[in-house]
Amino acid sequence: MSNAPAISLRRVSKQFGDVVAVADVSLDINDGEFLTLLGPSGSGKTTVLRMIAGFELPTSGEILLNGNDVSNEPAFKRDVNTVFQDYALFPHMTVADNVEYGMRVRKVDKAERAQRRDEALRMVRLTQMADRMPAQLSGGQRQRVALARAIVNRPKVLLLDEPLGALDLKLREEMQTELKALQRALNITFVYVTHDQGEALSMSDRIAVFNGGRLEQVGSPRDLYERPATAFVAGFVGVANLFDEETSQRLFGRRAVHTLRPERVRVLAAGASEGHAARVVDSQYLGAEMRITCRLDAGVIVVASVPSAQARIASRDEAVALSWEPSAVFEVSASR
Amino acid sequence: MGERLEQTPRVTDSGRNIAGRGKPRPAFALWGLLSAPLAWLLVVYVGSLALLVVSAFFSLDDFTGKPTTDLTTGNISEAFTQGEYVSLVGRSIGVAVAATLLCFALAMPTAFYIARLASRRTRRALIVALILPLWTGYLVKAFALRAVLAPGSDYGDGGFMSGLVGWSPGFGYVAVTLTLAYLWFPYMLLPIYAGLERLPNSMLDASADLGAGSLRTFRLVMLPLLLPSIAAGSIFTFSLSLGDYITVKIVGGTAQMIGNIIERALLAPNQPLAAAFTLWPMLIMVAYLAVMGRAGAFKNL
Amino acid sequence: MKKVSALAVALLGVVTLGACGGGDDGGAMLEELGEGEGAVNLVAWAGYVEDGSTDPNVDWVSDFEAETGCEVNVKIGNSSDEMVELMQSGEYDAVSASGDATLRLIAGGDVVPVNTDLIPNYADVFEGLKNKPWNSVDGKAYGVPHGRGANLLVYNTEAGAAPSSIVDMFSPDSPYAGKISVYDSPIYIADAAIYLMATQPELGITNPYALDQTQFDAAIAALETQKSIVGQYWALYTDQQAALENGSVTLGTTWQVIVNLAKANGAKIDSTLHDEGATGWSDTWMVSSKAKHPNCAYKWLNHIISPKANAGVAEWFGEAPSNAKSCALTADPNHCATFHADDEEYFSKVYYWTTPTKDCLDGRDVECVPYSEWVNAWNKLRA
Repeated sequence: MSNAPAISLRRVSKQFGDVVAVADVSLDINDGEFLTLLGPSGSGKTTVLRMIAGFELPTSGEILLNGNDVSNEPAFKRDVNTVFQDYALFPHMTVADNVEYGMRVRKVDKAERAQRRDEALRMVRLTQMADRMPAQLSGGQRQRVALARAIVNRPKVLLLDEPLGALDLKLREEMQTELKALQRALNITFVYVTHDQGEALSMSDRIAVFNGGRLEQVGSPRDLYERPATAFVAGFVGVANLFDEETSQRLFGRRAVHTLRPERVRVLAAGASEGHAARVVDSQYLGAEMRITCRLDAGVIVVASVPSAQARIASRDEAVALSWEPSAVFEVSASR
Repeated sequence: MGERLEQTPRVTDSGRNIAGRGKPRPAFALWGLLSAPLAWLLVVYVGSLALLVVSAFFSLDDFTGKPTTDLTTGNISEAFTQGEYVSLVGRSIGVAVAATLLCFALAMPTAFYIARLASRRTRRALIVALILPLWTGYLVKAFALRAVLAPGSDYGDGGFMSGLVGWSPGFGYVAVTLTLAYLWFPYMLLPIYAGLERLPNSMLDASADLGAGSLRTFRLVMLPLLLPSIAAGSIFTFSLSLGDYITVKIVGGTAQMIGNIIERALLAPNQPLAAAFTLWPMLIMVAYLAVMGRAGAFKNL
Repeated sequence: MKKVSALAVALLGVVTLGACGGGDDGGAMLEELGEGEGAVNLVAWAGYVEDGSTDPNVDWVSDFEAETGCEVNVKIGNSSDEMVELMQSGEYDAVSASGDATLRLIAGGDVVPVNTDLIPNYADVFEGLKNKPWNSVDGKAYGVPHGRGANLLVYNTEAGAAPSSIVDMFSPDSPYAGKISVYDSPIYIADAAIYLMATQPELGITNPYALDQTQFDAAIAALETQKSIVGQYWALYTDQQAALENGSVTLGTTWQVIVNLAKANGAKIDSTLHDEGATGWSDTWMVSSKAKHPNCAYKWLNHIISPKANAGVAEWFGEAPSNAKSCALTADPNHCATFHADDEEYFSKVYYWTTPTKDCLDGRDVECVPYSEWVNAWNKLRA
């Protein structure tokens, strides 16, 4: 049992009426792992999270927690806790009562309840706010109460549903660091839902990318970025040049979809001995880098990303040559 | 983590703007706009209530049954100290409470089903179906229940109920309670439904997530959050039931409530005594509203 | 603001009118009959003003409307108290008042004397009904006699042998216990007094409307005992009718008209006069002091005591007509005999509804319980 993954999804599908929200997803999430479910809205990532929590039951397939099949267990019997996107704090209870709620319904004795509550509030630095009502707190504070309310129950798995979505950018970045630190301190499994690929890349041990209800690829941030398995993953995680089958045939001599990261493209002066002749369509200054959009003579658009320090401002319509290492080009499966 | 609490002071600032530095004109216009309805409220509503209270102190010409302006406390002491009337008031409160509880017991699951479980189309159909009875007459409904509840006997057939199940509560306090609950049900359903609509799904998910089963979620989360809605509904059902006298006449058999004794006094005719009796429901409602207010029923108003 | 203060004045007026309206000795009696006003508003007992809508054969209103052009609007009064209350509103022109309402209406100035010279049919009214204490004051007629009758005992014919005694209405051992129907009005205390006249002669009751405190308390005690065997207190005549039809009531005080209506719907019931003597009524049509249609009201008074109309209403309601010529016109030739129309001996056993006063109506030199106390006691009994 101890070797079993914290969470196992086995061929899980979920349908709402005629709409397939999640199709045939299998995924193992390891103990102590920070796993992010990434995808655009409607991709099924939140539904997967809700099925792990027990708010939705799968139409087919199995969900195992620590090797136990909980597919048909209701939420309140599962040893997982959730931080909700809108925090879902109980507005009629104080911060302390909110944090104690889980222990109260599980009949933890009073002394232990108080001690664990104080500890949880200390972890999220809200000790002085214990007697406030949620309406008296700022967005960030509410977020931390929601976190305290979940971790105080010492779940084996913490589910976080876009928990930082409602916060402004600065606060969000602070909270990302905070969450990651918390996860290390608690040493429990985090399953984190977001549509923000930057957030996913910076926090996760592994990322599972969803698209149209299907699991596209699972891997470490580096894997996903450098070795995207599908055109969708390549496009969704970072920026990518995608070449369709015909273009690939012409450029690379292989009839398959290929991808190439912009930073792997070198922009050379026209008439260089290597590379493909192209013309500049547009160039954007982005601070650390410049993004130069070019059209190959063959008509294909290629974006190149060049460190600003090494590039001069290319003018529109200027003739250039683009080159890349063959190893920078990957074959990916076409998007479904 | 050091974000500042900027929201709260800003709200206060803008509030001060309107109250303090605002020009006098809008306030003047506001009063102009409100004066007509306010005057109407004062004269018709408060005025007639005041006259009612005053007339409770008038005396009665024994023979003609007409009030005279000789002042007396006899009506008040008659209405408030006679054991028969106090027990009648007690029974009336009992019926009103029972009808309210019955409305609540029926409205809560119904509203929950409509607001949370039904598909959008079913929801619309159900709401219409449940509000539709409001558009039919009170008397029609009361007589419909009379036809349902009529007791059977050895010499004649009873209503639908005794025909179908062979038993009916007959006419009396039980029938009155059932009928009142039937009549006022939509007044309980609608506020609870509206409250449930406003209740975020995630609140219930969160409770389940933290380990609470449905009953505990209902008691600890739903009920407290719906309390203002339930209180609003109960104020309707309780006050409408407490003041009712026609339903009692139709399905009450020998049962009587405050409204009947007021009607009796009016028809006697003994208007001062009737006025004294009406102080009962007024006081009860004031007390009821106070209790509901303390329970936080008006927090969201 | 003017409108508002006008409204306040109007509101105050409502109360002062109610408070100070009494004691008016009445307006002028009508001296000569003029043109009809096109309508007349009546307060009447159920069954007194029938236009064929209840039963196509029961109609003495349509003729009247056609002849006089006075459209008849009727408001059913369910008790004398209700009638007094309705007449105090001033919205009605005439009323069919029983003896427990007439004097209150006269004293309250709600009705005016009637000029019997303007009512040709008055000449044919039984002499025994004219100039009686309940319809005249100091020789001045305050209305025209409508008819008289007794409150009957109705019983279910399948529930056993026909009852004959008022004791079945009051005794806890009554075979009809639990299915007894009682008229829900303070005046019913007089029925209890009649029961006591038969069962407790030592109380010395001679007139059920003249009860001293001891006699009154005994009557209330009898009614308290009766409570446990009562299945229905009826205030609306239709309530008793429905209960008789579905059998939930098998014995009760009734009016013949209710029996007629229920029988027509198939109820297996019959009515009888109990042996001990009964309460009853002698009704009088009176004209309001605030009548807006006095000429039509006079025309109605003349019409309702005309031989044909009076015969019709007497048969339908189940009472003795007031017009002697009506007896020849009833569908049942024996109607007048059955209802003892000119049998003053019989009516000496009927105690007409009248308003109890402090001065005992039987002439005793003690204080009797006045009607306002009857009302309070009845309300408490029913509370």
